[in-house]
Amino acid sequence: MPSARTAPFQVRGRFLTVLALRIDSDVADDAFHAQLGEQLGRTPQFFSGAPMVLDLAQAPGLQDPDRIRDLVERLRKRDLRVFGVQNAPGLDAGLLGDLGLIPVSTGRDAPIAREPAPAPVAAAPALPRPAENKVIRSPVRSGQMVVADQGDLTVIGSVASGAELIAAGNIHVYGTLRGRAMAGCHGNENAHIFCQSLDAELIAIAGLYQTSETLDGAARDRCTHIYLENEKLRMEVIA
Amino acid sequence: MTSEAKKDAPLGRVIVITSGKGGVGKTTSSAAISAGLAKQGFKTVVIDFDVGLRNLDMIMGCERRVVFDFINVIQGDAKLKQALIKDKRLETLFILPTSQTRDKDALTKEGVEQILNELKAEFDYIVCDSPAGIERGAQMAMYYADEAVVVTNPEVSSVRDSDRVLGLLSSQTKRAETDGAEPIKAQVLLTRYDQARVDSGEMMTVEDVLEILAVPLLGVIPESKAILKASNVGTPVVLDEPSAASRAYEDAISRLTGTQVEMRIQGERRPGLFQRLFGRAT
Repeated sequence: MPSARTAPFQVRGRFLTVLALRIDSDVADDAFHAQLGEQLGRTPQFFSGAPMVLDLAQAPGLQDPDRIRDLVERLRKRDLRVFGVQNAPGLDAGLLGDLGLIPVSTGRDAPIAREPAPAPVAAAPALPRPAENKVIRSPVRSGQMVVADQGDLTVIGSVASGAELIAAGNIHVYGTLRGRAMAGCHGNENAHIFCQSLDAELIAIAGLYQTSETLDGAARDRCTHIYLENEKLRMEVIA
Repeated sequence: MTSEAKKDAPLGRVIVITSGKGGVGKTTSSAAISAGLAKQGFKTVVIDFDVGLRNLDMIMGCERRVVFDFINVIQGDAKLKQALIKDKRLETLFILPTSQTRDKDALTKEGVEQILNELKAEFDYIVCDSPAGIERGAQMAMYYADEAVVVTNPEVSSVRDSDRVLGLLSSQTKRAETDGAEPIKAQVLLTRYDQARVDSGEMMTVEDVLEILAVPLLGVIPESKAILKASNVGTPVVLDEPSAASRAYEDAISRLTGTQVEMRIQGERRPGLFQRLFGRAT
């Protein structure tokens, strides 16, 4: 069990493949599903077959066996691979087993291994671990993936459609961002994305994402600063 | 103009003609570029890497002269000299056809390297006509390249595929894997360019394409009937009668050899019309 529990979350930086659905309503009625369907319909290929965890912190009422059973069935019908549940202490293990769900106790709110433990020699606890920033001096091409696992990522050049940037910290692009950029991949909500011209397929900070279809029209093709505020992605045109 | 240079040691430059996407004009460009280089006096060989879908021999007009092929040489069934076909029009031009019956697994890194080394000792330019895609055939065609010509049409899917290929050129090739080696010199050749469709917004502009690909422009080849006609009769377009396309290729080839040529984007229509009128008058 433990290995199955952590494996889906340890795919470093590829948190896109594990989505968390935080439910804020105690009742998952038809209106809820209609609204969800609408949201999924906007980017169907993104959600199709995506592994998903249910976060019930705001919806203790859904711990009712019948309600959770109904919810999981309906989500799975939408081709969402619900495999885990979070913040639901009231659900008993037998029921979870029946539904094929795993209780997941970690999540974005409790990021796993933000920094690996410092080397025993440098045991001085106050000493901050130097960030391992990465600077790429050439364009990032379609199909390429650049990961800065422990720091910021700076690209001097454009990021092509179909390319992917992943960073634990901030992402800076001195060029046009046409691909995907995911900052704060270990859950850092204070991560920012900066780009000289925004035309991204997808941007995400700490797992909260927007696709090109939902990008702020005002920021398109502009020099933009993207950050999180009240769990929402904000885009600010800065030049 | 290079007849003196010819007597020196051969240049032995390997140029891959690649694109990712199919149908953008790789084989046509390989034929035109190799013929154009040979026409300038460079001893040139063009190799077809599209094992199983042999086409270059037809574009070059030597399909009935193929006895042994590239794969026969790799597998040791024939000597390189036996497989090389000498062009009937230019004595500095050779074609190394591929097999129509095998598949791309027949290409081995060692085999390709050995043949390229043999060819480098004798030729100025070795032009590798890559198959479409990014699988084995295309990887083998680009692996040992010194230069790359990325053939791109002015439309989004072709540009994206070219971008992908540029990424592979800078990561999955001998030069990329060798520490301290100069990276492959990649240039983009824009083909099937139609000024009227660019003006009407149906096609991407040269600037749009270059902005995305961020590599130098080797040339812009206009969409032209002359290309189809030349292919059908098995003549590289630069050896056929002059057309806007053949002039554009000649310019691109000069740039490839390091000559500065002003970039001019010619449409077929205007000079064509002018030529027709002029032709009638005389």
